[in-house]
Amino acid sequence: MANARDPGSRDAAGPPGAGSPIQRLVEAFHRLPGIGPKSAQRLAYHVLRAPEAEARALAEALLEVKERVVFCSRCQDITDQDPCRICLDPARDRTVLCVVEEPLDLRALERAGGFRGLFHVLHGAISPADGIGPEELKIAELLARLRDVDRDVAEVIVATNPNLEGEATALYLARLLSPLGMRVTRLARGLPAGADLEYADDVTLARALIYRQSVE
Amino acid sequence: MHLAELSLTHVRTFARLEWELTPGVHVIVGANGSGKSNLLEAITLLATTRSARARSDGELVSWSALGDVAPLARAAGRVLTRSGERVSVEVAITARPAAGGGALGGEPAAAGRRFRVNGVARRASDLIGRLRVVPFSADDLAIISGAPVERRRYLDVTIAQLDAPYVRALQRYTRVLQQRNSLLRRLQERRAALHELDFWDEELARNGGALLHARAATVAALASEAAAQYAALAPDDGALACCYRPGVPSELASRLLGGASEEAIADELGAVVGAERARDVQAGVTHAGPHRDDVAIAIGGHAAATTASRGQQRTAALALRLAEVAHSLRRTGDAPVLLLDDVLSELDAARRERVLAAAFAVDQVIITTPDADRPPRAELPGARWYTLAGGVLQRAD
Ligand SMILES: [Zn+2]
Repeated sequence: MANARDPGSRDAAGPPGAGSPIQRLVEAFHRLPGIGPKSAQRLAYHVLRAPEAEARALAEALLEVKERVVFCSRCQDITDQDPCRICLDPARDRTVLCVVEEPLDLRALERAGGFRGLFHVLHGAISPADGIGPEELKIAELLARLRDVDRDVAEVIVATNPNLEGEATALYLARLLSPLGMRVTRLARGLPAGADLEYADDVTLARALIYRQSVE
Repeated sequence: MHLAELSLTHVRTFARLEWELTPGVHVIVGANGSGKSNLLEAITLLATTRSARARSDGELVSWSALGDVAPLARAAGRVLTRSGERVSVEVAITARPAAGGGALGGEPAAAGRRFRVNGVARRASDLIGRLRVVPFSADDLAIISGAPVERRRYLDVTIAQLDAPYVRALQRYTRVLQQRNSLLRRLQERRAALHELDFWDEELARNGGALLHARAATVAALASEAAAQYAALAPDDGALACCYRPGVPSELASRLLGGASEEAIADELGAVVGAERARDVQAGVTHAGPHRDDVAIAIGGHAAATTASRGQQRTAALALRLAEVAHSLRRTGDAPVLLLDDVLSELDAARRERVLAAAFAVDQVIITTPDADRPPRAELPGARWYTLAGGVLQRAD
């Protein structure tokens, strides 16, 4: 508690009651995924004690990521141009589209090679415990592009992680897309269960793509 | 089986401990606070990946390690089975000091756990049961007198060491239940559609069915063995009865106790969960499932938790542990390692004799005691004696 008694920061912060700057910062941290009330407090007091330059750098990085980085309006991948290079590449196969949870998963599949179709990034997986339902994912955007832009897609490969949340997402997408006459497939098992896609080695990933299976 | 070697680094009070063990009886004499319970806790951790005593993994990491850049508690053991198989197991817990130098925190927070079997990184479910232990302690009283969660925990730790698929079903069920209950609350707030429950209901039924089935079989096996043990420990007392009370509607419960297959139980649990959706949404919690299980324990026809004396409860807990030893041996053909954490001194001579008879029937026993004269050395022929002080273990024969 010695830190909160630091005279300079105390005056600047005011009493740590509701609505005070420190309380607002605690609440802002608490809204971040995976940050509980105690961790939020620790982070806020860490910022309070940190040199001003460090706090300023953090604030600037936060703003910059919102101003400079954009999402591709088609595939929702992180990009510096919209639409992104993959979406514009005339050499890509436009009849097959691979759905992944995170931009890192897309990178991993591109690195593995062997897939020349389109991508779509959901930015997460269904996880009610983390407040993530279908509405919080880029699923509406997927339906819109399949309807309006990428009308030639005949097969959607669901490459979500082989864990409960990834499986829940795959089943949800299969139920949504199958009635539209699309073939919905899932990456073959052989990926280490319970592990994240981005940590899988290239051979495993390439093989999983070749032996993808229909979702029942 | 027996533990041939134990190695601890930065675990609780042990900065470093290397211990080579033989089969047979090992007695560790140490004052209260000497860390003798921590030693048995570390061995239990190697067998089950869990600590019965620590509330968080961070507690297991020794304070002296916190100055390091990446504090790490590591427990490793070499196991020798009766069939001559050698297995090495390792649990490593990395902790980070509380952020901000401890103004608000203080306790180290666990950052991650790593498991190795024979030197290869594996999941927890692959490590559990390579070393099997039956831990006896004064805390066992809670199995009889505590809340239902204590009995579920006892069953989980017991079954997990004998049944690897059970561990995976339990891990999955726990996560599914958490996700489903969150979704129920989202449904309550009209922020989700009912069909989003489909996936979680199916997983709940599949994994819940596996848990119900395994627990029913285990309680049945333990119950008859425990009744025999209790009758021998307390010949003048009423009979000890343990009866599984699954957290499902009575019709499904009686099918389960009647020996229905795992698939049939999963199917019926799925039907029950589906039928209770409206009620679940209204309450925001899942009503039916093994998370509501209990074991009814009675002595002479009366509930042991409420009507039995302290002495009867202690004896019943002892009977359950002895039943577990017999069950583990029968299931695997190999004896578990017995860990007796200061339980002998409170027993009368007849009961002590009964426990020691079980101890001499298995391959290895590790006993802790605060008193160098109890248990009397004459009752433990061939035992190896040690003293433990300041985190250092020394032979004292
Ligand atoms: Zn794109």
